[in-house]
Amino acid sequence: MPTEIMVIDDEKIVVNMCQRVLEAEGYSVEAFTDSVLALERIKEKRFDIVVTDLKMGKVSGMDILREVNERYPDTKVIMLTAYASLDAAIEAIREKIFDFFPKPVKIEDLKNSIKKALGN
Amino acid sequence: MLTIRKRTIIAAVSQASLIVIICIFVYCSFRTIVSKLRAIEIIDDLNISVLEMRKAEKNYFLYKDVSAITELIARGEEEFKGIQSERQYILSDLGEETFNDLKAKIKQYVGMASSIKESPQITSDLEEKFRSLGQQLTRLFELLLKQERKSVNHIIMLSVLALIGSLGLLLLFQLVLWRYFSLLIIRELANMEPLITKISEGRFQEVAEAPIKPHNEIGTAIKALADMARELETREAELLQSGKLASLGVLISGVAHELGNPLNNISLMAQAYLSLYDMLGDEEKKIYMGDILNQSERIRKIMQNLLDFSRQKKQELDEHDPGKLVETSLGLVMNHMKLAGVELHKTIAPHLPPVFVDAPQIEQVLINLYVNAVQAMPKGGDLFVEVAHDQEGDAVVIKVRDTGSGIPKDILSYIFDPFFSTKGTKGTGLGLSVSYGILRQHNGEITVESEEGRGTTFIIKLPCHGQQEGEGHADRNHGH
Repeated sequence: MPTEIMVIDDEKIVVNMCQRVLEAEGYSVEAFTDSVLALERIKEKRFDIVVTDLKMGKVSGMDILREVNERYPDTKVIMLTAYASLDAAIEAIREKIFDFFPKPVKIEDLKNSIKKALGN
Repeated sequence: MLTIRKRTIIAAVSQASLIVIICIFVYCSFRTIVSKLRAIEIIDDLNISVLEMRKAEKNYFLYKDVSAITELIARGEEEFKGIQSERQYILSDLGEETFNDLKAKIKQYVGMASSIKESPQITSDLEEKFRSLGQQLTRLFELLLKQERKSVNHIIMLSVLALIGSLGLLLLFQLVLWRYFSLLIIRELANMEPLITKISEGRFQEVAEAPIKPHNEIGTAIKALADMARELETREAELLQSGKLASLGVLISGVAHELGNPLNNISLMAQAYLSLYDMLGDEEKKIYMGDILNQSERIRKIMQNLLDFSRQKKQELDEHDPGKLVETSLGLVMNHMKLAGVELHKTIAPHLPPVFVDAPQIEQVLINLYVNAVQAMPKGGDLFVEVAHDQEGDAVVIKVRDTGSGIPKDILSYIFDPFFSTKGTKGTGLGLSVSYGILRQHNGEITVESEEGRGTTFIIKLPCHGQQEGEGHADRNHGH
């Protein structure tokens, strides 16, 4: 069974690119530009890895992180953010987070992080 | 032209002179009356003496009393002395002729009495002559007294009439002065009125260029007013610029994020393009490059908006579609809103009439309102932006409503005041006051409705036919 990855970002290009690159690596990817829909999907289905943006309007990356940690303790969350603010990083670390990347994201870093998450 | 101060002094001096003249006249007439009364008193005394002499004369002829004739002579001499000592009074009043006549008659009367005393045996003819002389004296004094009393009454009457007349004249003079000065000041103040109205409407330029007509104190006041208008004009331009800079500060962070997204997208696409290069078909490669171009265009637009916004330039009034103004301004803060968890609900009525405005200024006002609304909803919320045509007022109405904390009633009336801020060090207190100034220059208005705990609505009204009114401001320079 292929590794299941969820990608959430309100920028369509970001999710499209991540989906293309990660699918090329052989992962099964579900992409969302609407964080509300993504949260609903999390309630239905477990993913191995969730890659999410931090700031996204009504449902934020932190909301996604909390939901995932509560439901699926062994699912790894990788956070992307344009705001490399210390506050956001500290808050994310308090909740259990696997990795944290500032934008613009380097695809190689993301791929390596996913590999590391699956290896553990 | 004389100043009002000089005119007032001239009026006061002429009034004072009039009063002094009246006083001198009153003093003189009283002196005349007093001297007349003194003369009457003297004549009265002399008259009493004459009557006494006549009494002695009667006693002598009736009882042959020799002591009576001695008394008569003594009194006669006293009378003569009295006339001599009061000469000046009697002279000034009766004239030389009467005085001499009086003197001669008394002298003659006393002389006859002396000769009677020396030779008591007198003829009846001499007695008759002596008595007749006594009678003449009595009659003369009675006549004189009557004449003098009449003259005093006449003088008193004249004085009273003249006094009433001059007081009336004074009152009339006063009324004329009062009327003159009130008309003068009212007329000059009326000149000032349109200027003050212009200042209250913010048309400083017209006031600054107004001709200074009267060269008096009002003229000085008008000049001061014009100087003030010029100063206000400069200050307002400065305030507008600092308000713009303040809004710019808030915008910078939003714009940074706005730029972050397309940059991130370009980076991601370029990386994907490189890593997937062998797997991509020609069409797909074109799509990738096209998307990168689109994202670059997105960055360019953001930069352009920001430049337009921050550039210092003349106010340029032109026809603009109000819906487009709202869209453009929203474009600059869209990301800011999204990140703050604020959902936008936009209602733009179709077929809106154009408004005659300076687009960057109105956009500045709108951006300010959006940013305020977002700040009023720290936990996110809804922002309603409505654009409609008010047929009745022939205006375009833009409503910006948030679902934030609302503004307490006690500070609601201060929010358009310069430097009034509820944001502490985060705000400059200039945003809304500058917005207010901008709207006023466009002959529009900005009002606020707020309910604590429910939210706040800012309402902007822009006249649809602003062209005629707006022309006066079209050449106004807000830059330096």
